[in-house]
Amino acid sequence: MNLVTGTIILMVLAAWVWRQLETTQRRQQALGGVWRMVMKNMPRLVVALISAGLFAELLPESIVRQYLGDTAGFYGVLLAAGLGIVTPGGAFVSFALAAGAMNAGAATAALIAYVTAWALLGLTRVMAEEMSFLGCRFTVIRMVLTAPLPLIAGGAALLFQ
Amino acid sequence: MSAPSDRDNPPLGRTRIFDTSFVIMLGLTGVASVGVAWSEGPMRVVEITLNYLGFLVVLTPKILCGFFIVAAVPLLMPRETLAKWIGQDSGARGLLVASVAGALVPGGPMMIFPLAVSFRAAGATSATIIAFITAWSLYGINRTVVWEMSFMPVDFVALRVAICLPLPILVGLIAQRVLR
Repeated sequence: MNLVTGTIILMVLAAWVWRQLETTQRRQQALGGVWRMVMKNMPRLVVALISAGLFAELLPESIVRQYLGDTAGFYGVLLAAGLGIVTPGGAFVSFALAAGAMNAGAATAALIAYVTAWALLGLTRVMAEEMSFLGCRFTVIRMVLTAPLPLIAGGAALLFQ
Repeated sequence: MSAPSDRDNPPLGRTRIFDTSFVIMLGLTGVASVGVAWSEGPMRVVEITLNYLGFLVVLTPKILCGFFIVAAVPLLMPRETLAKWIGQDSGARGLLVASVAGALVPGGPMMIFPLAVSFRAAGATSATIIAFITAWSLYGINRTVVWEMSFMPVDFVALRVAICLPLPILVGLIAQRVLR
């Protein structure tokens, strides 16, 4: 059901965008972009989806439930945020792990903290790209200011649980 | 200085098939399949692989729609326009504009950080750039629509984005006070 809802939302949005593009030339340009994204991202998606399945099988359910499940509460959020910071690699690595952990019983709040921490503070991106473009001082200031956000987001999600 | 043009800098950055992340992913997958084969037999690996390939077929329409939306945004909203908005207003409205820009500019870090450098050169404050990077990290269209929507259920994505929506402006306001 969830998958169908997501698909319908994106289809409606895509149809609206198609209309907004207006000219055939711009539509073709956008379709060219889709083709480049398929070439680059599809291999990653295939591998990441399979590994999400394998992770879910390997992650011991009892341990995931104990440390990241509904009963773990804010400790789960804290632990997940820490794991997000040290997860290496791009989006498909962290989302494959998150999807695997979700199937193994991790709580929504913990997963929100995990994804948010990886996105804001993931060390791979910070060291590989942000520091070299924006400098060490700026990067450190930004990280200190945004460090509480994964805990705020995860904590807020706990209220909805 | 103007933002780099689309031709010099395609929205996806470099289109290399094998980069570090993909190698990490392949390594993790290899380790995971050996682990599953060890504990439950190689047939289970085949079974899981086929299951998730089937799932991918069901996912494909959603994924392709996501790709299309992300590919069309730079055509509807040229980067030059966004760059011009940012840096004109250093108050709270500037933070709002920076957050919207961070959400809408498609592309990964190799695209976003050079863009942030060009905003800085155009006169944007550090607080504005922090709001921009925070918004892109929290709910940039590329990451949320292409990746997160593919792996996570839609209510998870909706809840996370709803919670995170005001955070870039909040961080920007704090940065404005701290960085004086």
